[in-house]
Amino acid sequence: MKISKSIYLFFLPGVLLYAIFFVYPTISALFYSFTDWDGLSQSFQFVGIDNYERAFTGDTIFRKTIGNNLKFMLVVVVFQTLVALAFALVVLKNTRTTIFLRALYFFPTILSSVSVAFIWSFIYDPSLGILNQVLELVGLGFLAQNWLGNADIAIYSLAVTQIWFHAGQMLIIFVAGLQAIPDELYEVAKIEGANKWQTFRTVTWPLLAPSATIVIAYTTIQSFKAFDLVFAMTGGGPNNSTEIVATYIFDIAFRNYQFGYASAISVIFMIIIAIITFLQFKALRSDRISY
Amino acid sequence: MMKTHSILSTGVLALSLLLAGCAGESTSDSGNENAEDSTQISFIHWRGEDKAVLDDIIAQFEDENPNISVEMTIYPSEQYQATGQRLLQDGSTGDVFTSFPGAQFEAIASAGLFEDLSGEDFVSHFDEELISVGQKDDAQLALPYQLVFNMPVYNKGMFEELGLEVPKSWTEFQEMADTLLENGITPIAFPGADIGPNQFMNSMMMNNAPDEDIFEKLQNGEESLTNEWWVKTLEDFQLLEQNGYIQDDALGTSQDSAMAMVANEEAAMLATGSYHMSALLDLNPDLQLDLMAPITVEESEAVYEGINTATFMLAVNSQSEKKEQAKEFIAFLSQPEIASQYANETGQHLTVNDVEYESEVLQNTAYWIDEKTTRFQPRFLITNAQIEAAVLSSIENVLGGADPMTAAEEAQQLVDENRE
Repeated sequence: MKISKSIYLFFLPGVLLYAIFFVYPTISALFYSFTDWDGLSQSFQFVGIDNYERAFTGDTIFRKTIGNNLKFMLVVVVFQTLVALAFALVVLKNTRTTIFLRALYFFPTILSSVSVAFIWSFIYDPSLGILNQVLELVGLGFLAQNWLGNADIAIYSLAVTQIWFHAGQMLIIFVAGLQAIPDELYEVAKIEGANKWQTFRTVTWPLLAPSATIVIAYTTIQSFKAFDLVFAMTGGGPNNSTEIVATYIFDIAFRNYQFGYASAISVIFMIIIAIITFLQFKALRSDRISY
Repeated sequence: MMKTHSILSTGVLALSLLLAGCAGESTSDSGNENAEDSTQISFIHWRGEDKAVLDDIIAQFEDENPNISVEMTIYPSEQYQATGQRLLQDGSTGDVFTSFPGAQFEAIASAGLFEDLSGEDFVSHFDEELISVGQKDDAQLALPYQLVFNMPVYNKGMFEELGLEVPKSWTEFQEMADTLLENGITPIAFPGADIGPNQFMNSMMMNNAPDEDIFEKLQNGEESLTNEWWVKTLEDFQLLEQNGYIQDDALGTSQDSAMAMVANEEAAMLATGSYHMSALLDLNPDLQLDLMAPITVEESEAVYEGINTATFMLAVNSQSEKKEQAKEFIAFLSQPEIASQYANETGQHLTVNDVEYESEVLQNTAYWIDEKTTRFQPRFLITNAQIEAAVLSSIENVLGGADPMTAAEEAQQLVDENRE
């Protein structure tokens, strides 16, 4: 059957949108990363690789933001994936209760990040916040903390909020993946005498690997780009302890008017995310099994 | 089952739509009846809390100027700082706009987006000294409208009850704070999670570094944060924290929580500024309030008594095609009776001459304009935002337990990295 060349026209809208909203901004960022453009003036100078050199050798805060981002990402990826998977296993069957629970767990995802930031800032408030008050009430007052004001723990407090915010979204992906596993495989495992852990390890997890890959990759990207929560809850403080690359780029571009340098950091940031995501795909792909 | 599902889904959807709303800019068009024949100018700013009074003032302006209508767009202040300048670039938005002093003013000036207002008649309506912050290279590029005092608000009634006087030296300040502590009152409510450090640093350093060019010198390498003036400021912050003069967990306290402490009379001072006096009185109308800056040196060495900031700087977009109409609007805002309405309804002091302050709190604190020696907010004289962040982070570092000299050295390293 001969395919008409006009069929390629159907690709055009998608390609155009992709080119306008992804390719062009990316190329622009790359271009401006070699300039000293302030984001406002009509003119700028080419500065070669100065911006990249500054990022790697002369910017303590940038290096700190990479560290903060990695801490944040590790906590969020590990715990969000585990929480989402555990809850998915609990609400897997289609009963009235589990359908309600799925909706309930998904609920935080549909809130705006500003609302979430507001809710959690109130929860974490050291004097009026509900978290410290509950800890006091149940006799665990010694665990009460200055959750967002202590530079040693603030990034982890933000990570908890991020997990609460997005775990429901990942739960849905896991539920879909779990429901796609044929029941026959569980029956075989049962006949073979496998216990629950063995069944999970040899049947569920290998067949869930494609969903897990998506969840982990998406969670990684999401945690690298968690600009709004950080911006609204701590603004990067105290003492830059919650400053992540995305909020730092904003500061450099929009508060310090150094678009050229901010573009260079954005390019480095994009490459870091791409490398980490690629490594994750490679690692998780090797776990995949087909029966 | 299906019906239950539908009801549940509809409920969830409705709730989501309700909660998923996110604050954005708000635009108000006065709906001038002569709109078709009139020239519409765009007025952009960040003061959402002033919308009602500005709507009323715009309506009066349009009555007097039937050929001009004003479309006012208000952005959240963070968004305004981030995107305000870009909106101005093609001249279609922000015929009249406002600017913050400091980094934003410098950036807009560098981009050539300010129309020079020097020589306009309405400039004489403003206090000559207070508008100098809107000048650059001998040109009046912007006219600050509001005058705020970025120094602690204190509970005057509480001080009178306890027989306390406003301290004139650092020794007296500590004695006053000890008396408050003995009476179970936290001396200072410090909103360290948001605006606390950037507001309180001004009055804490004003006499430690009376040289008004200190931050300019820091930016060009002539001064260092490891020098006496800043290390002493950090040591003073450390003393406030270690002696319990500010509340526990101050770095996690938001301005709302800090305001609640003062409104409930758990704390005697709010380390923000005069702009919070109206809100405090809304929370507790029985409060008697005034302003007081900590004098961190001995009385004989004190040069300044407080901090002022002339802000909300009115300007005309140099790219606008409606500059004359835009200037008419600024001229209108600068009339004493209009400025008085704005001042009294927003609870702000203004830089406009001959304003009549009617509210008790404005009248009681107006003496700070003429009778007190205040200096312009030092933080706004740091024109590099990364250097400003380094200065502020050293305060957070000390309040988090770091040694002042170590915090100063770390901050100075950041200053050196970001010096242009």
